[in-house]
Amino acid sequence: MNPATAILFTGGVLGAGVYIVSVLDRLLAGTAAGNREGTAALLLDPFRSVALLMSQRRTVTERPDREAWALAPALLAGLAAVAFTAIPLTPGLAIADVPVGIVLFGAALVQVMVAVFLHGWSSNSIFPLIGGYRFAALALSVGIPFSLVLITTAIPAESLSVGVIISSQAELWNVLRQPLGLPIYLLTALGFAFWGPFQHPDAADLAGGSQTETSGTALLAWRTARAALLVSAAAMGSAAFLGGPLGPWLPGWAWSILKTVALLAVMIWFGHRTARPRMENVVKFGWLVLLPLALVDVFVSGALTL
Amino acid sequence: MGLKGLLAGIAGRARVPVFAVGGAGARDDLANLRLRTEISMLDTPRPANILLVAGSFTDAGIAALRRVHDQMSPPRLTVHWGPTTLEGLPAEHVVSGNVDGLVDAIVDLHRALLHGTLPSEAPLLPDIDPAEWRNVGPYGQGGKGMTGGVPYGRPMAERGPDRDGIQLDRLPVTLGPWLPALPAGLTLRVTFQGDIIQEASVGPAAVTAAIASPFKEALRRPVPLADLELARARHHLIWLAEALRLVGLGALGLRALRLAARLTPQDNDAVDALARAIRKSGAFAWSLGSAGRLDPSLTEGLGPVARASGLPDDARLEDPTYRSLGFTPITFADGDPRARWRQRLAEITQSLDLAMQAPDRTAFGDGVVEGPHGRLEQGAPTPSSRLLELLPALLTGLEWGDAVTCLASIDMDPAEAAAAPPSAGEGEAA
Repeated sequence: MNPATAILFTGGVLGAGVYIVSVLDRLLAGTAAGNREGTAALLLDPFRSVALLMSQRRTVTERPDREAWALAPALLAGLAAVAFTAIPLTPGLAIADVPVGIVLFGAALVQVMVAVFLHGWSSNSIFPLIGGYRFAALALSVGIPFSLVLITTAIPAESLSVGVIISSQAELWNVLRQPLGLPIYLLTALGFAFWGPFQHPDAADLAGGSQTETSGTALLAWRTARAALLVSAAAMGSAAFLGGPLGPWLPGWAWSILKTVALLAVMIWFGHRTARPRMENVVKFGWLVLLPLALVDVFVSGALTL
Repeated sequence: MGLKGLLAGIAGRARVPVFAVGGAGARDDLANLRLRTEISMLDTPRPANILLVAGSFTDAGIAALRRVHDQMSPPRLTVHWGPTTLEGLPAEHVVSGNVDGLVDAIVDLHRALLHGTLPSEAPLLPDIDPAEWRNVGPYGQGGKGMTGGVPYGRPMAERGPDRDGIQLDRLPVTLGPWLPALPAGLTLRVTFQGDIIQEASVGPAAVTAAIASPFKEALRRPVPLADLELARARHHLIWLAEALRLVGLGALGLRALRLAARLTPQDNDAVDALARAIRKSGAFAWSLGSAGRLDPSLTEGLGPVARASGLPDDARLEDPTYRSLGFTPITFADGDPRARWRQRLAEITQSLDLAMQAPDRTAFGDGVVEGPHGRLEQGAPTPSSRLLELLPALLTGLEWGDAVTCLASIDMDPAEAAAAPPSAGEGEAA
């Protein structure tokens, strides 16, 4: 794919994904609140919010790190895009179905820590800074289980290429072959996208955390990037555990999209009905529950493949 | 219509971003605004276009409001909700009347603001450094070693031993009085080490004194028991909505608010369903902990906080009407945030039952009443004022997230803390 097409394709698909995330978010928040909203309002609200933030001026704080403040959302969006390029929508329709695609994806997500910390640091304000620190604790606690369950999908495929991992699921999807994998993946992916119960860096108790001081287009960029990250994580979940484009009747790309949207809906639904744990419990949960379970996943999957 | 007009047209149909500041007496009305889909109530003034001000404030509260006003990025507008404007804030837009009128007015004003027919408000404070630059480094540092000094009037982080005995940076900051994670009007002066509170003290009162009705009336004259208990249940539901929002369950919080807005004594099934959803959310299991435990000996007279630490402490036990209904207070043992949530959830159900049992009977009227925060008595300090005194010791050593959860769980009302229950003489005059 030539670079211009690649950029347009990634931007277009992620943009559509971000739109779906914001519609689903409002829809599922309404369900949890016991409040039905009109379809037109649901579908149009994302555009209205974008227009609103575009008409707002950006905030200037006292002695911010201006460059870092402007760069952080761009870095987060870039990482979401890089992660996305490793995932083939159908065989042949991937920006970079490189032989080590799953490693590329994992590497991109680990860098998210830099983007979030930079965002918290740069406005020179106390709550954003605490938000940045919180993400470090969060990402360290969920990072290893995340990488483990993801890399485990490479065992039956005997390849680190996402395309091969997908085709290795032709007979049996990984969600059945490695039943521990998908739940751990979804939980930890919520952590990396700091969404729902893992919204610690941008939580209400910090008045918005890393985005407390942000407004206008800068806030729009940050929220868009965060939603794009969730889309990339769901797309990888569908490829690595649900066989991505595999499925009867429909074309492969349609299956990829359907599975990705389904995973997005599950994650967002879960987010609106699950309380944000205390930070201490997040760390305990990551190291004492998720990590051992992820190791069991590795050992069992490895033993079955022998 | 150019591109800008088109953008303004679309943006004018978005939820209006509002930062609401509630003084004394405005809690319930502002909470109900969260139910409106035309506006969205924000946690931070930065991306807000409308500053909504309701209730009454002290001078310190208004001074802090002026700073909040300037923190909003343009375009911005101040809307006063209530009979009067406040000295020192832009006063062009005053809306009195009900929520519907207010929401319509906010939407109209916001559209005019976006289209440029109303100008964005100018800053209220001069854009200068609040204190002179001192010391030597480019950021004013250089008091002791590389740290220390008071650049621009703000003390820099200095090192001190932390709870593990290591030397770590200490950062003194003032939080509130209009931080939505704290009770409206509470100013906290906090010294952080990381995000651990090393020292805490309470700043000047930002809201004027007020005791919620009908509990205030019940101090002076007998009031229908059903009114008192419905008001208590409603108070706890609005508290619950706020507490849920702070642990990331805003959507469930809206359910609590909707229930509070149309509460009848027959609503126990809806309360049970809500309590089930909260239990399923894991809030009790992993969001609320034992951080912020209060010793029972400190909690006498503190209503739900006392009963959550095992004391059967309730002024309703002294009232003949309640006694004739066989009232016994519910208690929980642990005295921590988790127990206080359980306590209030159980008391909502209990209050609805009481209201159903005695629709026509009256209670209290002799200068003592069991308010939503605890025992209100003529001449005695209000429960909130006693909770305020407990805060510094309670918050010291907590991680910020736990401090917020703990503060929410004790349900301290700064307006009640500033109030003294009226004496009998005042009652006769009224």
